Formats: sequence, C-alpha cells, structure tokens
Amino acid sequence: MVRSLQITILLLAFCSLQTPCFAEVTVFAGSASKPPLEEAAELYQSETGIEIFLHFGGSGAMLNQLRLSRKADLFIPGSPDYMLKAQRFNLVDASSEKILAYLIPAINVLKGNPKNIHGLADLGRPGIRVGIADPSGVCVGLYAVEIIEEHHLAERVRPNITANVESCSKTASLIPLQAVDATLGWREFEQWNPDQIESILLPPEQIVRLAYIPAAIATHARNVKEAVEFLAFLTSSRAKAIFAKWGYLTSEEQARVYAPHARIGGEYRIPEGW
Amino acid sequence: MVSKRDRLFHLLLWLPLVGLLLYFLSLLGALTPFFAAETFFSTLTSPSVQSAIRISLLTATISTLLAMAIAVPVAYALSRFNFFGKRLIDTVIDIPMLLTPVALGTLLLMLFNTDFGLWLERMGFSVTYTINGVILAQFTVIVAIAIRLLKSSFDDISPRYEQVARTLGCSATRSFIRVTLPMARNGIMAALVLTWARAIAEFGATVTLAGTAKGKTATLPTSIYLAMASADLEQAVVLIVILIVLAFAVLLATRLLATGARP
Repeated sequence: MVRSLQITILLLAFCSLQTPCFAEVTVFAGSASKPPLEEAAELYQSETGIEIFLHFGGSGAMLNQLRLSRKADLFIPGSPDYMLKAQRFNLVDASSEKILAYLIPAINVLKGNPKNIHGLADLGRPGIRVGIADPSGVCVGLYAVEIIEEHHLAERVRPNITANVESCSKTASLIPLQAVDATLGWREFEQWNPDQIESILLPPEQIVRLAYIPAAIATHARNVKEAVEFLAFLTSSRAKAIFAKWGYLTSEEQARVYAPHARIGGEYRIPEGW
Repeated sequence: MVSKRDRLFHLLLWLPLVGLLLYFLSLLGALTPFFAAETFFSTLTSPSVQSAIRISLLTATISTLLAMAIAVPVAYALSRFNFFGKRLIDTVIDIPMLLTPVALGTLLLMLFNTDFGLWLERMGFSVTYTINGVILAQFTVIVAIAIRLLKSSFDDISPRYEQVARTLGCSATRSFIRVTLPMARNGIMAALVLTWARAIAEFGATVTLAGTAKGKTATLPTSIYLAMASADLEQAVVLIVILIVLAFAVLLATRLLATGARP
C-alpha cells in the first residue's frame, strides 16, 4: 500500500513536470552563432516576455534533430550548406530565410601568435599542430577543407591535422586549451575569447567562399507568429548591433572587404578521403 | 609484525590505490590554472547555472527513483524465477549499457517521432526537448545498470531464507519485504549511489533527446558543454567544480547515512 502510494506520488511528480502553455520560440542553432544569439534572445525575452529556448550543437546534428523531432520553430545553422539540406528535406520554409551575419574563414592561433603562423603555408610547416572541425558535419570544417583543397595544400597540411572535432565551437576551444597550434576557423572566433584567441586573416584571394548564418522558419513550427516576430527582431538594427559587438559582420559590403571576389553561400562537396 | 612476503602483498595492494588516487587528484589539479575565484562566484549566482543545478539534482533524483522502482522487481524476478527465454530477456535488458548514450538518445528521439510518441504528445505528455526528456534519457541510461547491480545482490542471498520465512507463515510479498530487501540493503544502497552518480553526469542521451535550452532542459553537464561551446574555459572549469562538489557531497552523505557513519 505504502509502496504503491510512493509510486503514485512519483508518477504525479513526473507528470507535473509538463511544460506549461505560454508564448515561446524553440530555436535549433549551429553553435557558430551562439554568443550573439544568446544575448539577442535574452534581450528579446526580457522585452516581450516570450521565452526563447535555444538548443545548440553542430549544424549537422541540429539538422538531424530537426528531422527527427520536428520540434523547432526556427532553424539557424552555421552556414548555408545546412540550410540547403534542410530545404531538401522540406524542414524549413525557404521563403522565410534571412541572413543574420557573415563569417570569414581565417586561421586562429593563441594570443601573441607564439608559433609565428602568418598564412596557410605555415600550417604545413613541420611540427605545427592543426585543428579543424569534422568537414562532414560541421560548417567550419567544410570551409577549411575547401580552402586547403583549393590551394593544393592537402598533402602538406593534412599530416599536421592532429585534432578533428565535432562542432564549430569546439574548434574555437582548441586554441585556449592549447590542444593545437592553429585552427582553420572563423575570423569571429577571436571575439569569442579575445584574451586567448587571435585570428590571422587570409589574403582576399585565398578566401574561396564566404559563409553566412542563415535563419528560417521551420516547416513544422508550432509557434509561427512568435517565430516570425523573433526572426524579424534578429534582423533588426538592434540585433545587428549585438552581432557586431561580438565581431560578426552583418552586411555583405562589410564581408566583401575581406574577400571581394569570393563566392557567397552555396554548397561544397567534400573530396573523397576526408 | 608483517612478514616480508606479506609486506610485498600489502605493497601490491597499496601501490595501485595510491597511484589511482594521485591520478584522480592530478585530474582535479589540472583545473587549477584555469580556475578564477571571481568567475566562480559570478557563475554560481547566475540564474542559468542555478537552474542547471536545480534541474540536475531534480532529474537525477527522479530518474534514479524511477529506475530503482523498476529495477528492484525486474532484478528480483530475473534472480529468482526461471522461465522460457530468460537469457534472451536478460541480454535485451543489457542493450542500453552496450549502446553509446548518443545512440540511445537518437533511438528515443526516433521513438517519440512515431505515432505513439505523437499521440503521447497530443495527450499532453511531451518528452522531446522538455524536462521529461531529461528524466527519460537518464532513466534509459541507468535502469540497466541498476538491474545488473541489484540482480547480483539478490543472487547472493540464498532463497532458503525466504523459504524459511514462508514456512513460518509469511506471504511471498511479506518475505520479500521483511527478509530479502533488508538483506539486500547494501546492494540497494550501492545501486542507488551509482545510478544517481551516473544520472547526474549523463550527457549524450540527454543532449540528443532534450537539447540544451538554458532554464528549461540544460543540466550541469549540458552547461559545461555550452561553456566549452563558447570557448569559455573559465566558466566550464567553474561548472566542472560545481558538479564535482555537488556529486561528492551527495555521494559522501549517502554513504555515511548508509553505513551509519562508519569510515
């Protein structure tokens, strides 16, 4: 009797943990946009009372979670490659897509650049430990491979790749952890941890493709009205100021300064063997 | 007086213990270069971290109690009864222990995307990306561990004690409650402690099924992942310290309570 009462109480406690009904927006995002997105969401939440729930991970992982759960209202991958995939699976409303910020491929090193790394060629120097993100599931890894391949550096750089990590943010963490000497990441990583990360910019002609952070309403969104409003806020000048504060470029003109002739967006097919 | 031969034996016992202790302490020591006191207090008082602590303690406790409520009868049945297909069932129950938590989380996500899962949701029981998902993910990971530990504990208790209790007039339920359960007390406590510890540290299945939303589903391990995701090592270190202190305090208190403050 006592035991069944205990179990009933437990079950009641379990059921009482249901999420109550209130205005909310669930966002599945690649971690490339994590710092500014968190700040923008906090501001929006405090002003409107609409709860913004942010779920971060590698863009590929978040795409799969969107496919399996259909629980997101907004999808914000780290690059257009994953937005195109999401469109192919009919997971997002393509007409709602907006660009939140642009990402510039760059080399990231420890503050002060102790290994004197000044360009792509240095990544092939003997003894230099290079980290990249997994190109098959993470945007920044995809861009890294594209740059290495485009400049025919695979033979020299690949033997130096000692870390292959599963998310954009982990790529950025490799530098403060001193797990590698350099990563092929985004210029924006420097602003994530300016005390420890320094970005070495690539010459414009070496930047093959510029990335951007797209955002779109999910096909199965449950809170469409709130999601549309939050997306409008993310593209407003106030949200852009937050992205700018974190070192992100929010207009194509700004991004073009770093690579006037680079392609923007599109997809890249990883060569065999990576 | 310990003989020379015994001294060698004692040395062989103490050396691995001291070595292991030093190794674990050096892991903690590795945190110190990144530990900043000011970050510790600001992190500890931040609403998202307090919510992560609350969610971690609550979900680990509920999932452990649920797992134990299921594991005790299952382990007892597997230990005492022989039936057709017992070995197969026993092996099937072990499957969650063989699968990596991310795979388990993915299977759970798939399950709740079926008609059954969607029906549950329509009935108001939402699992994916809710705190229920955190509890279910932890439960799925720990229940097999609890069953395994409890079964070996019940296996060690001779059925003769229950038979004697039955001849003295006890019903099967009463002999289980009055004889078997008290005799399995140490095994039950060990299972409770180990499964709770495993639940509070659970990450892979939780992050896949329940996501990383701060204040909603983010646990302490998820918050460590999120801090690493912002390249914020200092905050990650503080969160690791909080997790260690919390888990250590709860486990030590449980052990002391269970053993009546024996060292």
